[in-house]
Amino acid sequence: MTSTNLFEELFFQALRIRLVEERIIELYPSDAIQSPVHLSIGQEAVAVGACHALTSNDLLFCTYRSHAFYLAKGGNLNEMFAELYGKVTGCASGKAGSMHLAAPEVGLMGASAVVASTIPHAVGAALAAKQLGKDQVIVGVFGDGATEEGVYHESLNFAALHKLPVIFLCENNELAVHSFRKARQNYEIVEHAQIYGLPVYQITEGYDFVKVSETMAEVIKQVRSGQGPVFVEIQTFRYKEHVGPGEDFACGYRNIQEAQCWKQQDPLNLYPALVESFRPSILQEIDAAVHFAERSSFPSIEELLRDVV
Amino acid sequence: MLCNTNLTSSVTEEKGLDQHLGTEGGVLSYRDALHWTMREALQRHDSVVIMGQGADDHKGIFGSTIGLAEEFGFDRVMDTPLAEEGMTGIAIGAALNGLYPIQTHIRADFSLLAMNQIINLAAKYKYMFGGRFDVPMLIRMIVGRSWGQGAQHSQSLQSLFAHIPGLKVVMPSSSQTILHTYPKIIADYRGPVISFEHRLMYDLNFHVEPVTPNYGDDPFGSYLVRQGDDVTIVATSIMVLEAMRAADHLAKVSGIQSEIIDLHCVSNPDWNLVMQSVEKTGRLIVADTSWKEYGVCAEVCRVVAERNPGCLKKPVVTLAMQPAPCPTAKSLEDLFYPDLRQFVHAIATLVLGSEEHGIQLPDTQSMADVYKRFKGPF
Ligand SMILES: Cc1ncc(C[n+]2csc(CCOP(=O)(O)OP(=O)(O)O)c2C)c(N)n1
Ligand SMILES: [Mg+2]
Repeated sequence: MTSTNLFEELFFQALRIRLVEERIIELYPSDAIQSPVHLSIGQEAVAVGACHALTSNDLLFCTYRSHAFYLAKGGNLNEMFAELYGKVTGCASGKAGSMHLAAPEVGLMGASAVVASTIPHAVGAALAAKQLGKDQVIVGVFGDGATEEGVYHESLNFAALHKLPVIFLCENNELAVHSFRKARQNYEIVEHAQIYGLPVYQITEGYDFVKVSETMAEVIKQVRSGQGPVFVEIQTFRYKEHVGPGEDFACGYRNIQEAQCWKQQDPLNLYPALVESFRPSILQEIDAAVHFAERSSFPSIEELLRDVV
Repeated sequence: MLCNTNLTSSVTEEKGLDQHLGTEGGVLSYRDALHWTMREALQRHDSVVIMGQGADDHKGIFGSTIGLAEEFGFDRVMDTPLAEEGMTGIAIGAALNGLYPIQTHIRADFSLLAMNQIINLAAKYKYMFGGRFDVPMLIRMIVGRSWGQGAQHSQSLQSLFAHIPGLKVVMPSSSQTILHTYPKIIADYRGPVISFEHRLMYDLNFHVEPVTPNYGDDPFGSYLVRQGDDVTIVATSIMVLEAMRAADHLAKVSGIQSEIIDLHCVSNPDWNLVMQSVEKTGRLIVADTSWKEYGVCAEVCRVVAERNPGCLKKPVVTLAMQPAPCPTAKSLEDLFYPDLRQFVHAIATLVLGSEEHGIQLPDTQSMADVYKRFKGPF
């Protein structure tokens, strides 16, 4: 594939994610989606770039902010909208909502609303992959805030100790809800991760999906070859409020200039012609997915106690 | 009961359990039953891994995993960092990708550091994703008692976990129940199970029936362990043994016949078995290894109250720990747990309707002294 093709392919995927989330924003006031949404708008390139070199056999564990990863990993769009609508045709029969998307058929192994809690799952899945001789790379995705939790450190240590095929992927948007990283952390994320004996990669241009995908391709190759875990920190930018469909620059805690600076580099803003060429087909797909969700039924009483154990 | 002083298993590789038990059954300690089930699990299922602090060392989880790392490999019987939450999460991830992890906590108290993974994740992983994942795993937790275990090495936390939908909680009260339940759980059940093993029972020898290939029926449920018409005693873990001792004493000195139900699976007991018995006897004693408040005692009362309160001829009696953290001094510890004398007195009072029942009570030797086959530190 030529690099132009790679650029366009990744551009298409990032745009698709953004348009899906923009549709969620449009729909949100109607209350059809009664689930807290943590939007990835501004952060799409991380998911798109990270997933590009993964196969559907490779596993990914992520967070409540995972619309982007769900789609980038190949999750079904109809089932995603149905899940947001709380419909029985959703990817989790309506029991998950926005915060717990999963698509095991393409290796998306779940998303948790408890910060940092899926990081050890990625490590455990990597332990199983190694012991059972599966040719798999496992990715654990988390935010900068998650690195403050104890379980994050426990996970890095164990993965490094046992040389497990896992990639720790930190989406650093410098924020946990409304709190900046500097107010929370007395360490630098990669410097600290290195202490566990992990090779680390840092990407500051987190809007650049080509760069993310190239770095990740190299990292995935390295991990697949059995050299042990790798840590990747990608700098990114959350355009929206922490949770919900709006923006919150007016609240005074963040600087709109910084956002503007980031948006000026965001490929989705830089290539309007490309956006226009892709938009119609994506919108058509989204219309169909929303229609699918709308026409699906709500789960009925037999779902209430199904799959408890 | 015999004293088992050495830590190695009496069921050796050369002489398997079948041979050990013969066709008549035989004697097997709680520890050896655990060791046998652990070894058998590793042998039978390539997916089984045992992970726990010290699982591979010379003491091997009080003897229950001794020699298994050497036999099956240190990647299948793993020592772990001191990271209870992390290791539980790692077990979940491993279970999601094809392994069957058996985790050990040498004290149940330490599992409190793993509550997030057990309750927020393991218990919900199936339901929360619409049934698309299974998390098959067994978490073994050991409840400490005596020799100054104190407030943080003695807690029996079954009700905390049994409260949570998605978790199965069992409390084996004998070698037989271990042989009946663990292999079945490991082979067939696809969700998270927590087992509370009682440290005081590790050294006890039990008579067990020969092992049958299908290992009994449902590993989750309750056992009727003694039949009687006068009173129903619903008990858990080592309190089942206390109930047996109390019942035997009373049968000998008074003719009072107690029916005893080992609740065993406290998250999903056989409530029909309990109700049938209480409806027959009209009298109920609940004896649990933990506190009464919001626990097994309270839950058994709830079910009887909801299903058929009219069947009770007398108010329910509960026997459990005093409402305090566990004290260390032996003089206090002996008061903290109910003893055999109190147990017999409670039954006699309930059945005969008066504290002046005139029935001879057993001596006051503390329960720990009766069962304990070890000297400190643990
Ligand atoms: C254990 C836990 N503590 C607190 C919260 C509340 N909370 C939800 S998201 C969040 C911020 C996490 O920040 P980060 O890890 O950087 O991820 P981001 O939201 O920026 O993607 C917090 C504190 C939670 N869900 N779980
Ligand atoms: Mg953040």
